[in-house]
Amino acid sequence: MNRSLLKKCLSESRLLLLACSLGLYLFCWLRCWVVGQFEMARFQAVLEQFRDFERFSPVPFEQLFTFAGRVALTYDEPVVILCVSVWAISRGSDVVSGELGRGTMEMLLAQPVSRLQVLASQVSVTIAGVGLLCVFAWLGTATGIQTTTVKELGPPPTWQVPGLGLKVPNPLAERGTVEVRLRDKVDVRVFVPAAFNLFCLGYFLAGLSTLMSSWDRYRWRTIGLVVGFYVLQLTMKIAGIASDSMAWLLRLTIFTAYEPEAFVSTAVNRPDEVWSVWIVDSQSRFQDLGPLGYDLILLVLGTLALVAAAVIFCRRDLPAPL
Amino acid sequence: MLVETHGLTKRYRQVTALSDCTLGVARGEIFGLLGPNGAGKTTLLRLLLGFLRPTAGRATVEGLDCHRQSVAVRGRVAYLPGDARLFRQMRGRDALAFFAGIRAGGSLARSRQLAERLELDLSRRVAFMSTGMRQKLALAATLAADTPLVILDEPTANLDPTVRGIVARLVLEARERGRTVMFSSHVLSEVEEVCDRVVILRAGQLVHTQPMAELRQRHRIRLQLPGELPPIPESLRGQLTIVARDDGAVTLETPSELSPLLGWLATLPLVDVRIEPVGLRSIYDHYHHAPASGPNADSRGLLTGSP
Repeated sequence: MNRSLLKKCLSESRLLLLACSLGLYLFCWLRCWVVGQFEMARFQAVLEQFRDFERFSPVPFEQLFTFAGRVALTYDEPVVILCVSVWAISRGSDVVSGELGRGTMEMLLAQPVSRLQVLASQVSVTIAGVGLLCVFAWLGTATGIQTTTVKELGPPPTWQVPGLGLKVPNPLAERGTVEVRLRDKVDVRVFVPAAFNLFCLGYFLAGLSTLMSSWDRYRWRTIGLVVGFYVLQLTMKIAGIASDSMAWLLRLTIFTAYEPEAFVSTAVNRPDEVWSVWIVDSQSRFQDLGPLGYDLILLVLGTLALVAAAVIFCRRDLPAPL
Repeated sequence: MLVETHGLTKRYRQVTALSDCTLGVARGEIFGLLGPNGAGKTTLLRLLLGFLRPTAGRATVEGLDCHRQSVAVRGRVAYLPGDARLFRQMRGRDALAFFAGIRAGGSLARSRQLAERLELDLSRRVAFMSTGMRQKLALAATLAADTPLVILDEPTANLDPTVRGIVARLVLEARERGRTVMFSSHVLSEVEEVCDRVVILRAGQLVHTQPMAELRQRHRIRLQLPGELPPIPESLRGQLTIVARDDGAVTLETPSELSPLLGWLATLPLVDVRIEPVGLRSIYDHYHHAPASGPNADSRGLLTGSP
């Protein structure tokens, strides 16, 4: 890696990074505050109306009737995924085809730096940026949890038995709501697997964009191809969930490996499995991949894409600027 | 030789951008590359920098293979691309600092000095610079690198005549400091002014090598006679070539000193006589307009150089 190249990459991307980080932090904070605005009972009543569509939920509705479950929905919000995707795709696509399109690759590679150094500098900044965004998302969630209060039904009213000093619950009286701090209901650490899952998705997208960029010379085409792939994969997931006959599509989409809510559920209900690569039953038989297993799928695919990008870029002819 | 190519060839599917190019550039030489667009000049330069993988043959700079050891080669070469584009978000001074910092032995002071000579405002962002200003900035960044070889691909494109003159002086100064310069341009007068040797490329082939010292001795004599040209004396036959003859007008060329010819010319019944240096233009036009038929193609026996 080269210090000057790193500095250049940072200076090119700092505004986007700052905007995405700030956006993520504030959105995740706001999202926790929104959770505090709706009483759990009302939220539950609304969600019960959609019981027929539960299959589209990544976790059973019962999980969503907990504060941790409701906050975990943050990591499936389009804004959160968009911020990470925009960063990963825009920086990944810039690595080769961006520089070629602007005509600056010529001056850059006229210097005594290897193509691998150029790629490594760009990729390092991109991956570090993805990491930073996920840290900001988690920090926003943590800040939201620390500062939000939620309303819930208070204990049933009681009446005192005269002369005996006994307090007896009064089932006829209406229960009032009380405000409690969200931090007393939710442990911020359970969202670390969700933030890490978001990082893995960003890492994969950065790898894929870099791969597409490595052989292309037009950045717009690189972005178009990656976004097309993204939409296709998302469609495959929706189709796979919607119809049993198309469930096989779930095996072919990377979004099967992006399940932050399910990982939060695991962290809450089965904390010993949250960093497992796979989950086995009591007889040590394989049941399913663990959260880390799904994360590893994204990390391995992203790494393979980056290796392929390096090979392609180091071998290709460098076209003259247009 | 500092730069050597042996049978260097680059083909893209059906198109041959450079074919079997063999040349050498000596240390301290200013070496010109001439040819129309698509002749293969830039392909040759890009092969030297390792931007392209040769289809056949090889190129070396200081004995280092340009493809396999391209990073080491680029450590010894300062290159100005034909269409130099710099990082738009940077200010001029930041761009110079970047290029000085990325190269071992790079000097920001030297590039600032060059920018000052080129009368360049370094406080402006590259995105807001005119094409000429960007070219000056790229020139300052390139020429400041302390490398044995400087490759300039059309360095004066987009520059005004004053700055063109400064660039020519900078190139000559580089040679004075012992650096070698490879110089590609469409401006023949510029090439004539600074180069020690030029090669002419056509359709990917190196068709002619011309030492400039030899060219500067060559003259063209245009005679207007009332009748036929008398036979050329035996003693001058090796030194004179009849280039054109048309109704009393005869054009002769000589590759050597003029003085032996003047006595003979004085004996002719001349109506008019004009003597002028041959110049690069005629050499260039000769190859530019003649059909390609391989290296050193010369159907009229006009030129004495060899590739």
